[in-house]
Amino acid sequence: MVLYRRVKIWSVLLRIFHWTFALSILVLFVTGYYIHNPFALGPWEGSPTNFLMAKVRYVHFLAGYFFIAALLLRFYLLIFGNRYERFTDFIFLRPRNIPRLFHTIKAYLYLGKHESYGGHNPLAGTIYLLVLLMSVAMALSGLYMLYPEGGLWASAGFSIFKTQQMARLFHYFLFWIYLVFVMFHLYLVVWNDIFGDEGLISGIFSGRKFLPAKKG
Amino acid sequence: MSRLFANGLLKLRRRDFLKAATIATAAMGLPVTMVDKVTAALESPKRPPVIWLHFMECTGCTESLLRTSHPDVATLILDLVSLEYHETLMAAAGHQAEENLKRAIEKYRGEFICVVEGGISTKDGGIYCKIGGRTALEILQHVGSEASSIIAIGTCAAFGGVQAAAPNPTGAVGVRDIIKDKPIINVPGCPPNGYNILATIVYILTFKRPPDVDALGRPKFAYGRRIHDHCERRAHFDEGRFVEQFGDEGHKKGYCLYKVGCKGPVTYANCPTQRFCDAGVWPVAAGHGCIGCTEPNFWDQMIPFYEHVPGVEVPSGQGIVGKAERIGKFAIGAAAAGIAIHAAAGAIKKATTKEKEE
Ligand code: SF4
Ligand code: SF4
Repeated sequence: MVLYRRVKIWSVLLRIFHWTFALSILVLFVTGYYIHNPFALGPWEGSPTNFLMAKVRYVHFLAGYFFIAALLLRFYLLIFGNRYERFTDFIFLRPRNIPRLFHTIKAYLYLGKHESYGGHNPLAGTIYLLVLLMSVAMALSGLYMLYPEGGLWASAGFSIFKTQQMARLFHYFLFWIYLVFVMFHLYLVVWNDIFGDEGLISGIFSGRKFLPAKKG
Repeated sequence: MSRLFANGLLKLRRRDFLKAATIATAAMGLPVTMVDKVTAALESPKRPPVIWLHFMECTGCTESLLRTSHPDVATLILDLVSLEYHETLMAAAGHQAEENLKRAIEKYRGEFICVVEGGISTKDGGIYCKIGGRTALEILQHVGSEASSIIAIGTCAAFGGVQAAAPNPTGAVGVRDIIKDKPIINVPGCPPNGYNILATIVYILTFKRPPDVDALGRPKFAYGRRIHDHCERRAHFDEGRFVEQFGDEGHKKGYCLYKVGCKGPVTYANCPTQRFCDAGVWPVAAGHGCIGCTEPNFWDQMIPFYEHVPGVEVPSGQGIVGKAERIGKFAIGAAAAGIAIHAAAGAIKKATTKEKEE
């Protein structure tokens, strides 16, 4: 018989971040792919105009701002969040986390038992940090293309990407990396929900996870 | 140099002169009230000495400049400046030409404007481009160090151009990679618009200082905006009306060329407003996408010309160049396969181990 405690892990802010980030990414995927490869033709001349590309771009930019807002929120929480949300909790460089990292990898390879650490396991946490960094590159390349004519974003974008074409290539290439990340993320979340005891999926709605009673 | 044109055949008529001055004023983004000031500067008898150097290039910049018709930009430019040395135009050849260059540098030390056309080879001491026994590198370092300022005409002089395209066998670079201590104005383009060359020179003559430039040294009045942001087909873009294939219905109707690789969205230049060939035409107007010729490394970054994202070199692979899309789809496929195997392993494990009730 294992006893569980229901522990509050994720603050309201973190859950707001997660869902704003997730939904904005979904919208950005769809609109971004349309902008890359406009599949449906807009109206042919003569039929009523609907400015399809302009509207899709508008939605893309709007979603982009939500994405950036969410990103900033997460960076705030990385430093000032609760103890599970701070980056110090899950970076794998921390001595405590090195055995945990191997343990997690073993669990994913079906070679060990799934363990709960409260917040992110060090493997997931590291990937999330990389995704956050990637998101910064995504936001900067997007802002550079949106504001090409001088000012902060143009000069920041220029110093990183040099040409608009390179910014566009990065933006597009990262899109595919995000897709791969989202696939793995969704799969592993479901996997964790099946093989682990935490109730990971409900956790990102309620903020609460189930941890073994002896711990914490 | 204007001696060449003294036969009167190539002399500008007053009307054409004013027209050109007005176009140059407009190209610089100045109001019409400035035309008088510009005209006065152009008419001043003090013409700045110019030494025009050719390096690794096709001479297309000079050629396109000379082939404009009315008003004759080339004549105007050549009338504005006192051209002391220009390999394509001067009558002298061989040792006499070398002598001219030496004399011009001595006479106008620190005063002359150096115009450079063409890229400069740097590999193996720059031996891949030699003129009169000296490498382009030596000539540029020598002439450039004596000049008051340098105007790099064309993408080759500005960024290395086609010779700098991968694998860049001669180590070609632009002027700005060699000369660091002089004001360098880049007027890129393949070829650059003659009016942008004219306007740059006129700007210097009128205001006695170089124009404002962007981070790549390009005058902001000509290279401050992206093609896409003032293209006449932009309305079709926003409408979602695209040419799918050259020659299709959309192409005949003049729709946006985005899907056939137009680089307008990533290219800074004034082609849609300044236009070419005196006929008010430019590539997109003629039904072909922009190829991004004013951007650094455009031969590498803007290809394939008929697709809008370039191929990506897989770094560890042996020169495998794939479309980002193909690489992306491959990654997605590999990820899906990985997930499927992992899930199957999990399902087998679940099925073979008995779960205890907790
Ligand atoms: S033709 Fe090119 S520059 Fe013009 S709107 Fe289309 S993509 Fe932009
Ligand atoms: S339209 Fe594009 S490719 Fe053509 S000259 Fe202008 S910048 Fe160069």
